[in-house]
Amino acid sequence: MSLDDKDIIGEFVVESREHLANIENELLAIEACGENIDSDLVNKVFRAVHSIKGAAGFFGFSQVQGLAHEMENVLNLIRNRQLVPKPAVTDVLLRAADRLRGMIEDVEHSNEVDVSQHVAELRAVASGEATSAPPVQAGVVPSQQEATTGTERQLEVVEGLVEEVVAEGTQSRPSAAEMPPPACQVPVSPAPNLGETAARESKTSSPSPLAESSIRVGVQILDRLMTLAGELVLARNQLLQTANSGDSSAWGTVVGRVNQVTSELQETIMQTRLQPVGAVFSRFPRVIRDLSNALGKQCQLTIEGQEVELDKSIIEAIGDPLTHLVRNAVDHGIEPPDVRIKAGKSPVGTVALRAFHQAGKVSIQICDDGRGIDAAKLKEKAVAQGILTPDQARAMSDREALMLIFRPGLSTAEKVTSVSGRGVGMDVVKTNIERLGGTVAVETHLGKGTTIDVRLPLTLAIIPALVVRCCGPRRYAIPQTNIRELVRVKARDAAQSFQRVQGAEVFRLRDTLLPLVRLDVALGRCAAREGPPSKASNIIVVEAGSLRYGLVVEGLCDSEEIVVKPLGRHMKRSVCLAGATILGDGKVALILDIAGIASHMRLAMPKTDSSAEGPSNAGLRDMQSLLLFSNHPSEYFGIPMEIVARLERVRADHLDRVGGHQILQYRGGTLPVFSLEEGVNCRPRPAKPKLYVAVFSTAGREAGLIVPEIVDIRSVPTQVDTETFREPGISGSMVFEGMTVRLVDLHELARKLRPDWYQSRPAIPTPNGSAPRILVAEDSDFFRKQLVGFFKTEGYEVQAAEDGAVAWELLTDPNHHFDAVVTDIEMPNVNGLELAQRIRGERRFANLPIIAVSSLAGDEDIRRGRQAGINEYHIKLDREQLMATMARLLKTSSSRAATGRKS
Amino acid sequence: MNTELVAPSVRGNECVELATFVIEDDRLGIPIDEVDEIHRSVDLTPVPHAPLCVRGVMNLRGEVVTVIDPRLILGYEPAVVTRQTCNLVVRWGGERVGLLVDRIGDVVSVFREDIEPPPANLAQRQGRFLRGVCNLESGILAILDIEQLLVLEEEAAAPQNSRDASLTRAGPS
Repeated sequence: MSLDDKDIIGEFVVESREHLANIENELLAIEACGENIDSDLVNKVFRAVHSIKGAAGFFGFSQVQGLAHEMENVLNLIRNRQLVPKPAVTDVLLRAADRLRGMIEDVEHSNEVDVSQHVAELRAVASGEATSAPPVQAGVVPSQQEATTGTERQLEVVEGLVEEVVAEGTQSRPSAAEMPPPACQVPVSPAPNLGETAARESKTSSPSPLAESSIRVGVQILDRLMTLAGELVLARNQLLQTANSGDSSAWGTVVGRVNQVTSELQETIMQTRLQPVGAVFSRFPRVIRDLSNALGKQCQLTIEGQEVELDKSIIEAIGDPLTHLVRNAVDHGIEPPDVRIKAGKSPVGTVALRAFHQAGKVSIQICDDGRGIDAAKLKEKAVAQGILTPDQARAMSDREALMLIFRPGLSTAEKVTSVSGRGVGMDVVKTNIERLGGTVAVETHLGKGTTIDVRLPLTLAIIPALVVRCCGPRRYAIPQTNIRELVRVKARDAAQSFQRVQGAEVFRLRDTLLPLVRLDVALGRCAAREGPPSKASNIIVVEAGSLRYGLVVEGLCDSEEIVVKPLGRHMKRSVCLAGATILGDGKVALILDIAGIASHMRLAMPKTDSSAEGPSNAGLRDMQSLLLFSNHPSEYFGIPMEIVARLERVRADHLDRVGGHQILQYRGGTLPVFSLEEGVNCRPRPAKPKLYVAVFSTAGREAGLIVPEIVDIRSVPTQVDTETFREPGISGSMVFEGMTVRLVDLHELARKLRPDWYQSRPAIPTPNGSAPRILVAEDSDFFRKQLVGFFKTEGYEVQAAEDGAVAWELLTDPNHHFDAVVTDIEMPNVNGLELAQRIRGERRFANLPIIAVSSLAGDEDIRRGRQAGINEYHIKLDREQLMATMARLLKTSSSRAATGRKS
Repeated sequence: MNTELVAPSVRGNECVELATFVIEDDRLGIPIDEVDEIHRSVDLTPVPHAPLCVRGVMNLRGEVVTVIDPRLILGYEPAVVTRQTCNLVVRWGGERVGLLVDRIGDVVSVFREDIEPPPANLAQRQGRFLRGVCNLESGILAILDIEQLLVLEEEAAAPQNSRDASLTRAGPS
């Protein structure tokens, strides 16, 4: 075959793929319409099949042509309303379409494929109904050998072309028009008699289409690339000129230009790789239909957000994991119709697929309204299968138990079906998604349904990473998605922080023990070491799935965007590596696979940290990040970092005293500053040429506190003595690493030194004339006193409770009335989430504002808080923000109450 | 060796051009169309947990290329990089792989019919890396089979450091 022919046939394959891409969903839509034929839709499918038939005839792919021809006949009958597209009919058409696609993918050998069964089925369908149709139709079902003489082939090609032109003419952007509408519903009716064939078919038909070797790119993107390429050439010329002229002053502009063009070029090229996720979603209507038929269930699929775009490589890789999740939703989630009716649900279950952008990532959710996952049952199974000991099961929370579904070997299905239930899969799904840099989360409500949330990065090709040094000069890149935090341990603290538990090295990070992996040991560069290190250690706290550990490296280099390059086949079995990248100096750095290192080092599942503490330790979890500093070298103070807007290094001679107040000449203006000794009983600071100023905002303006010597910024437990050193401006004291640290309350200090600032504060809203009453639930003495103090100084009336149970008692006591609740999350007896749930459980509290003030501030915590009914979630402890939120919430709740009274 | 560069007389057009190089004392060759490029500067990044024969990876104009030390596969001591060491980049399947060789030689043309099968007395393990040998005026040239040489560890036997059979010594008797 000549090269030209190959090219043309290649085009035919690409074009036919496009024709077939949506045929499945269109057939299903035709089936859904039943007797109310949507002739446009049928025409579209007809045209697609017809074009394939025409071109196949031209190339002499007689089997393709023959099969297409028979399909065309059936479609023609449907179009002429002589045949109702019942499931039995569409089934035959779908199977034929599958075979057609298979033949197109290997078109060179298509003539060897036997299509007689499909032809017979199609003819049976056509003739079965054709008995009621005019007999003319029967004549148009010739076998292809008889029908295709040379001239006729030619004719059909011409006809195909004409039809295509018509099709293109009516669609301004063919590629867009090929996509299904943004949200489509494909109800699927049960056809139990077809169950068996559907099951057979779902096994034989491969769900993943072959990776495409060419993609369509919008012309305007190509134009843009062209322009940018031109820009790049210009920039290069400039670069050469500058290099030749030896004029060093021009470098800045040239480098700036190259920089700009490069990033724009990168961005535009990434755009060419982005594809709508709908390309994957489009296969699911068929999957759901076939599966629910096979299982005797009724299911409808709703799809949202198929226009959301992801990198081509991700689109190709998520197909199988998503298919698995969707199949699971139907098989494990949705109940049979009779069970659903008994449970008071509609007999038709819904599986919803949703894709949306969230925080720079793409979220894909698979929700079903089925039976949900029973955590207790999961535990039972896990115990029965020896995955858990009964003790472990008892200690395990429901949330943790849910994660069991990702363990290999565990299945929730009562019996093994052909569809699922062998317990193979969810672990693979999770690993595959994590390999893509994504995460999976499960949420379930017993009897109501399950939602699986898959989060994926937009692209794989370029990722932000931290470059670290290990094993001498070797550099390695760690994807930022895996990094939680960086910890530096000084050599003198090492003995305390590094410990050994049964030979395994652990690190005490705040209140948890973190398993440690030394990167050089993991990479086999040196043997495990004994004893504490002689110099400071860098620990990178990394997370892969539910596993968190500390990676000890020799040094940190830089944080940069890296281009991921694959490693050669020889390194396929290096589990610790995810790929390679080329650094700025042209050297190769290897990219670490955090999950791979964990499995290489045989790290176990993490121990649940909640079991480590009892309720007596409540408050211990509360950690606060403190700026530790000394005023006079012998006296230490701390400021919560949340309040500090920034730290500035200033020269002492920029400080002035105007009208009895200190000011700092600063960024062309002045900043009012305080010395600690002005307001607090302490020794004055020694004279120094340079100082730090901690800038914070209070009373709607910025002010600064002079911080002569910064000791450290540390996360410390808030076990605060609120008695011994208490004075205005000092909220309490604590002993930290042998130092007595006094905690400075910047707002109180500012109020004490500049009372004039606070007079013009806006009055707090008072819904019924009196001051609003606030209930504060907080188990830590320190924070409780702080909160109460904050609100009292603002003119609120405050009642405090040591935990959620006391708060609930106060709240439900008819002698009390509260306008708002401020609560901690982690509390003994009744925690903040439960308190919020109880409050929202009663109608009279429906409008009661709830503000959570917590040190747990992960996205997940915030989401759970919102679900429990918390209006606002605050990180401990920013007074200004808290006050602003309180004022705002009170205002909306009182206006809501007013409208409530009116109606 | 320039005599070999002159194409042998018109005995047929079945002529193969071979890029030759030296490993230990053996003269080896591979068809020139399998070679992408040859260069001297070798700046390698070692890869942990990689098979023994992998010396590391390198940046070849933006592509990360695996560099193999064939000496370890052929049963010699690891290569010592000298000023004469060259990196021969070959095409293997869809990827490019670098081979560290002690010294690079000339390009020679040989007739297909002059290539003989590897001698039977060559050790089994080494014999399978050869496509054949040809007896040139200047000595024996063994033709390496890249496919066999680079076949992945899981399919091949683990490399041993035996020095029992040198290729030239085991040439046709």
